[in-house]
Amino acid sequence: MSATMEQAKPGQGHQRTAPLANRLMSTRSGGKMVKDYWDNLFSARERGAKVVWYNGAAINPILQAAGVEWCHGEAFGARLAAMHLEAPAQYASESYGYINELCSYARTTLGCALLTKQEMADKVEMDNTPGIPSKEVLASRLPAPDLFVNAYAGCSTGQQWDEISYRMFNKELPFFKVSYPLLWGNKPDAGYLRGEEWEAASRYVANQLHKLIEFLEHETGRPFDWEGLRESMYYIKRASELRMDALNLCKSKPAPAVFWDWVASIAPINFLPGNQALVDYFAEVKTEIKERLAAGVAALPGERYRLAFDGIMNWNRVGWLANKFAEHDAAVVCGRYTHNSFWHEPQLIDPDDPILGMAQHYLLCPFNHSTKNLAEMILRDCETYGIDGIVFHATRTCRSASNGQLLLAQMAQKKGLQTMFFEGDVADESFYKDEVLQSRLEAMLETIDVQRNRSA
Amino acid sequence: MKQTAEIEEIVGRLAAIAEDPNAYAVEWKARTQRKIIGILPMNFPAEIVHAAGALPVLVQEDNAAITYGRSLLFEFYCGYTRSLVDQAATGKLKIYDGIFLVDHCVALLGAVDAIRFEVPDLPVFLAQFTASMDEDTTRPQVHGRITELRERLEELCGSSVTDEAICRSIEAYNRDRALLRRVYEMRRLGRISLSSRQMQALVKSAMVMDVDEHSQIMTRLVAHLEAGSVHSTGLVKLHLSGHFCHAPRPELLDMIESCGVAVVDDDVYTGYRYISTDVPHKADPITALTQWYFDRNDNVPCSTRAQKSADWESYLANAVEKNGAEGVIVLVAKFCEPHMLYYPELRKELHKRGIPHLLIETEHEGLALEMLKTRVEALIEGIRRSVLSRETA
Ligand code: SF4
Ligand code: SF4
Repeated sequence: MSATMEQAKPGQGHQRTAPLANRLMSTRSGGKMVKDYWDNLFSARERGAKVVWYNGAAINPILQAAGVEWCHGEAFGARLAAMHLEAPAQYASESYGYINELCSYARTTLGCALLTKQEMADKVEMDNTPGIPSKEVLASRLPAPDLFVNAYAGCSTGQQWDEISYRMFNKELPFFKVSYPLLWGNKPDAGYLRGEEWEAASRYVANQLHKLIEFLEHETGRPFDWEGLRESMYYIKRASELRMDALNLCKSKPAPAVFWDWVASIAPINFLPGNQALVDYFAEVKTEIKERLAAGVAALPGERYRLAFDGIMNWNRVGWLANKFAEHDAAVVCGRYTHNSFWHEPQLIDPDDPILGMAQHYLLCPFNHSTKNLAEMILRDCETYGIDGIVFHATRTCRSASNGQLLLAQMAQKKGLQTMFFEGDVADESFYKDEVLQSRLEAMLETIDVQRNRSA
Repeated sequence: MKQTAEIEEIVGRLAAIAEDPNAYAVEWKARTQRKIIGILPMNFPAEIVHAAGALPVLVQEDNAAITYGRSLLFEFYCGYTRSLVDQAATGKLKIYDGIFLVDHCVALLGAVDAIRFEVPDLPVFLAQFTASMDEDTTRPQVHGRITELRERLEELCGSSVTDEAICRSIEAYNRDRALLRRVYEMRRLGRISLSSRQMQALVKSAMVMDVDEHSQIMTRLVAHLEAGSVHSTGLVKLHLSGHFCHAPRPELLDMIESCGVAVVDDDVYTGYRYISTDVPHKADPITALTQWYFDRNDNVPCSTRAQKSADWESYLANAVEKNGAEGVIVLVAKFCEPHMLYYPELRKELHKRGIPHLLIETEHEGLALEMLKTRVEALIEGIRRSVLSRETA
């Protein structure tokens, strides 16, 4: 049996021994797969590979089939933040002139671009800010790009930041952009996966993906490997089905795995190659969850509350947050970022003809929806997973993730759900206010208790 | 003397309308019995609303403190979007028969969704223009979106929007833009002494008024200005840059000018950026409006668009070289992502060309003007010193 025991830090407001949380064991192999992926990418130039820097949607199967290596800028920024190594990149971007209220993902990744460029011995204009790291630092290890692709849905900043990457590399490299309409819903028939606008947007993006493939063929001088794309989409579909099955098993009370376990599985589904190893990974995760259910092992043995988490991840605080909720016996069971993202509607993928389904998933980025769509998805999940309350991460530098949250909270309250907000950030730790999170969480949990007592 | 008084009177009249666009719009509606459409910055083709017989009013930031809007949009959004939402929450958007937009700034979309939530009966229509100008899929998409705008306006206004009507509207707006550009030209040449506050009033009023009425007034104003005499001021010449979507507060402009400054040009949205480009003549007016979208970004590049060949930094530095400004004040609305993202590119170019500049972040809640004044004075002092050392070298 795979359960491990981690001692959580004691909560400030609770005079008792902290509860134990069982993290999934199977996700550890994902960590290794992701590390191997980056290590391999760092040597891309020595291996003579062409490197694409891209941001946004998971277009990696297309890049894979085009025979290029892919570097997902945001994912690298997230990795640095999760490893608490983001500071050098953020210093570099600050000295380049970025104001700290700018998206910290972009600041971190553009900082990496500056450092990579510095590595190439190109002169970059920066103030003499102390802390600009030497070249050994991980942040400067990205292989310099040969071309750029931007495919950022839902956020204008995501699109604009590659305009800057392009400029940082002297406007000399080939650059292709995929644009997405926001799933806004002007018409009454509009909704999640339905309506004329959804159909039109799907076709519009699919058409652009075909153009992207033409661009890649032109840049690589090789024909696109359609068979390769079908194959990787076959594996991705299978992996995604297993992931969704595993998520579904967590409807069970107490939940056998929680949001923080799913966060650990984001990187594999987001940018690792579509292959048997990916399928095996999610098969193991599902198996471990089934075993837990059979053995009666819960993620939080003392689960008392079931919560949903809304917002983008806060990469430098994941472990800390997991402990914070565990201390209060609060199982965060589902979240927008984990449950409504990353190939989460596998039935849309036709491996024989995958482009349309891929386009649709790119449109389904969790930050590319109107609030109406979001409410439909999130309130549905709250019902499915038996949620008591929603925790909103008001992400200081990410307006895309914060859009609609205050409205969603009002809609959730009307359904009898409790809600709380805490301010944090995607990759900049300075925006946290720990005490606020602590006191608001306690207040929300108390309200849930009162509500239960009343209805008992 | 009479000339100056006439100029003051005309500008004062436009400034009053710019100050309170809602009062103007309500009066216009009562007078004409036609609809008022609130349009949002920065790429909306007002011509299409005008052609539908409605009054396009570019919704402005309101000076009121943010109150009820706080429960709908976080404080870490730009002042413009927070104000929009607060206007919705305090009933100020009720005067509009619809809100239309084409831009996709993430903050703006969040704000407009909050407006939909708060005022569910108000028709809101997003015809999202693709922001990346480089791909050949963009042009047909934008054309299609303008066609959708036309159809939606036909529904809302209850009458068809003919090609002829759009062509007439295009002509009317081109005329008005040309008049405003003439004033800008005179300012660059130092032939007029309108303050930045007054210049802002001219453009802001164009954003909210009936275009023909505005043009009539502008025609009179231009005639008076043309008849005026050349001014030589001895002040330090500056260019104001940036400030997307909404107007910098006039008090800020007054403060800058009080430091011995003559603002000779700008690329702020409530300035030259708004009037820079005419809609070209084309047989199909929708094609013409589509072209306008691309032309604007060629003429005065904007970092809300994604275009490889457009460089705001070169535009800015070239503009400064042409208009004779000795320095630049970059005005960034706090939390404005596209501007924050691009600022280092501007800074790099200005450094490269030896153009002194100062960055000022503006906020809805107001500014510490005294503190800012010290920084502006330091910029001016630096410019004067370097002029002196060049002269004595
Ligand atoms: S603001 Fe948020 S969604 Fe936009 S680019 Fe940054 S992290 Fe991504
Ligand atoms: S472009 Fe800047 S000023 Fe305009 S809505 Fe977006 S954030 Fe606000």
